[in-house]
Amino acid sequence: MSAMLTRDELALALGRTAQGDRAAFRRVYEATSAKLLGVTLRILSDRQMAEDVLQDTYLTVWRKAESFDASRASPITWLVTIARNRAIDRLRSGAGFRKSTSIDEAFDIADDGPSPSQAVETGDDVRRLNDCLGQLDDRTGGAIRTAFLEGVTYDVLASRENVPLGTMKSWIRRGLLRLRTCLEP
Amino acid sequence: MTVPVDIEGADDDLALAGELALRVLSPTEEAAARRREAAEPAFAAEVEAWNEHLAGIATTVVAVEPSAEVWPRIEAGVSMPAAANDNGRLAFWRTWAIGSSGLLAASLAAVVVLVAQPQPVPPAPTPTTTPALAVTRVATLTLENGAAAMTLAYDPVSGELYLAPTAEMAGDSRVPHLWLVMPEGAVQLVGAIDGSATSRHSLTRALTGAAGTANAVAVSMEAPGHTPAMNKPDGPVVASGELQRL
Repeated sequence: MSAMLTRDELALALGRTAQGDRAAFRRVYEATSAKLLGVTLRILSDRQMAEDVLQDTYLTVWRKAESFDASRASPITWLVTIARNRAIDRLRSGAGFRKSTSIDEAFDIADDGPSPSQAVETGDDVRRLNDCLGQLDDRTGGAIRTAFLEGVTYDVLASRENVPLGTMKSWIRRGLLRLRTCLEP
Repeated sequence: MTVPVDIEGADDDLALAGELALRVLSPTEEAAARRREAAEPAFAAEVEAWNEHLAGIATTVVAVEPSAEVWPRIEAGVSMPAAANDNGRLAFWRTWAIGSSGLLAASLAAVVVLVAQPQPVPPAPTPTTTPALAVTRVATLTLENGAAAMTLAYDPVSGELYLAPTAEMAGDSRVPHLWLVMPEGAVQLVGAIDGSATSRHSLTRALTGAAGTANAVAVSMEAPGHTPAMNKPDGPVVASGELQRL
């Protein structure tokens, strides 16, 4: 499936969705649902729960499409942010019970960069982000990627890396500031 | 929060906005940062900028095709108010309406319409035999996932508050606490509430003033036996909703 839409086509489809156009809503779903399920599944590690969150995500998209502003956000970013936040809320609500992942396994996965075959949507923004993440030391870049991909808090990151909470906070806060300087010099 | 000595002021806010977007903060820190996000447009813009930057990390995620049944469920969900009943929301409204006065039921039906289609609310049918409840504020509290958690109706004349939780609120060992969210983003504790059954409360005079100006309500989950400070939940805020005037 996954009819590929360009950024502009997707933004247009979201705009029509905001006006109640169900065919446009369906185009948004077909173009983006596999990516968003990837995001929710990575956080929740449970297919059923990840699909439930996916359903909630698109219901939210239907209701809130009018708040999407194409001049300020990219449509896929807007969608990924909603899906990721919903999945994290489910994870932390207690209803989402995550299978434990070993530290090595988690960091191995997290440290993967984008492989060419997966990076279908890679634009300049994403290339720059990856360049800037690459300029951080490995543990900091890895921790930021893991936090994003798995939706885990400082507490979890610190215990996985076996460092004090304050150390993990310091790594990530400094990493974020360096990242921002690199992204918006 | 401890702040490293080399990160101050604007940088501190920038990092906090990034932490909020990344979702690494503890529940308490996150709730505080969310309040700032709601109250400070500049801070909210920083969070949005971080979302935009960080979402690029998702390009490393392998896409997974959803099962065929997901789309029909979504389609049913957007067919409100006529067809959608598989998410339990309509069943809740019906059950609740039966147990309520005609006026309240009519008011809540109007809210359903308001939620389902952002168009002018049709005039509610005038009740004939029910006592005047003078309900002027209602809110549908939803969980972060969009599911309805509770309906609230508040009569500012009598100070009476009605709460109708959905099944979403049941089965949690923590105790739900209701909060008023003031226009400037501050919160005020109303008190512990029953998450398993419809309940009715009379607000104290001190609270009726705040309830009259609040623009939203929220529910936090607190440890059993624990009463949080009047102005700050200690447990996670699980549900919230705008107060609508009728």
